[in-house]
Amino acid sequence: MSIKNTAYRRYKIIDSMLTNKMRRYPTMEEIQDACFDQLDKLPSTETIQKDIRSMKEYPPSGFEAPIKFNRTKRGYEYTDPNFSINNTGLNDQDINSIKEAIDLLQSISGSRVSSKFSHAMEKVLSSYREKFPKTDYKRQIIQADTPPTSRGFEHFDLLFSACRDQIPTSIVYYSYRNRKFKAITIHPILLKEFDNKWYVVGYSERHKGMRTFGLDRIYEPHLLYKDFIDVNKEEKDSYMNDVYGVYPLNNKGRQKVVILVKPLATNYLQAYPIHESQHAKKHENGSSTISFDLIPSMELIRLFMSYGSEIRVKEPSWMIHYIEKSIK
Amino acid sequence: MMKSTNKTILFEIPDREDPNRNPKLLRVVMSNEFTRIDFGYSTLRIYDRGGWIRIAPHTFIEVEGTEKKYKLTQAEGIPIAPVQHYFESTKDWQFFSLFFEPIPQENCVIHIIEEVNPDSNDFNYYGVDLVMNQGNRIREEVIF
Repeated sequence: MSIKNTAYRRYKIIDSMLTNKMRRYPTMEEIQDACFDQLDKLPSTETIQKDIRSMKEYPPSGFEAPIKFNRTKRGYEYTDPNFSINNTGLNDQDINSIKEAIDLLQSISGSRVSSKFSHAMEKVLSSYREKFPKTDYKRQIIQADTPPTSRGFEHFDLLFSACRDQIPTSIVYYSYRNRKFKAITIHPILLKEFDNKWYVVGYSERHKGMRTFGLDRIYEPHLLYKDFIDVNKEEKDSYMNDVYGVYPLNNKGRQKVVILVKPLATNYLQAYPIHESQHAKKHENGSSTISFDLIPSMELIRLFMSYGSEIRVKEPSWMIHYIEKSIK
Repeated sequence: MMKSTNKTILFEIPDREDPNRNPKLLRVVMSNEFTRIDFGYSTLRIYDRGGWIRIAPHTFIEVEGTEKKYKLTQAEGIPIAPVQHYFESTKDWQFFSLFFEPIPQENCVIHIIEEVNPDSNDFNYYGVDLVMNQGNRIREEVIF
């Protein structure tokens, strides 16, 4: 059973009083007063007695706290002078849960889990090494697609801070397509992963609108003292949710896209829908007509082309021509 | 003339008359300890496998209207001559930064001179206009 937050705050107060070597054997009234001072609410005698009982219970509901009323001193004490609920920290169940979470996160994210997180968790678990030798969690039971560390990933933490704290950031950006460098101030909104590549999305002063920048093409980002330009929610939501992929095609608004899909590809697209607007109408022979309502992107076109003859674009006409031209 | 306090100021250099200039001058960073200039270079087809780049050790900054030369102190992403960085293809690129002695933090026009009598291969840039209120202070403290 989990400990309620308000009760836990009282436990911390009781613990701090019982571990205070300068003022030992606090009385019930003193504990009540301390709770009132720190929590702005006077707990009843029954509440504190119940708290003490709970603290004495075995984990996970309690802390196995050796609390005793000292009749001579007419106050409470820990019979083990070194005891504190802060020292009990994590129990075996807690540690196992954390380790499972770390394993899962590392399997899913691989090198993308920032080193600061790994370091922090190492610190947390370091006290428990004796109980859990390293070897017991080395057997991998989840494998996800984890690419080697990519160029530009070293900017992840800085750009994460910029997004979190809404800090305009100057970057140098190299366009693979145009083969040109540009210095750009962006007002970053979020970091996005797509197809094992990381991008930062935000308002670009140079483009006067939302843009996406691949981390692999960013050089020397610097956080700036400058007012943050926030994009209105509607534009932000549309940019982030109406697109499959990361680079919406210029001048192509949200529109209907229809594809004819052979049976094999139908199975995959039914199992793994690519966009929330996806709507499929299955035909008798197992093929389907699938429609989307989204902003077309290069990634969407590439996905369709990757299925070869399994997928044929039916609408819009410009996309049909674009694909035909690309194939030639 | 407007004077700023001693902070690190970053200037993004707008595309100049010749946007195809190569290397492209991208940013100037003014601090108490150095002046940093960021460049981006895209290799050209005219050179075999994209050719090579390097920067002359005697490269300096000149502030218009003054005689002092601010010396090159460090280079990142580009070797200092006689060492050369060889590219592998005509589609390569290189971001690099040159560090010079600090110039005064005030409105100024600077020239970046690799060779006083340059040929077409030298990196000389004239008339880079730095207006203090068009720059932005860099946040030095970053909380991750």
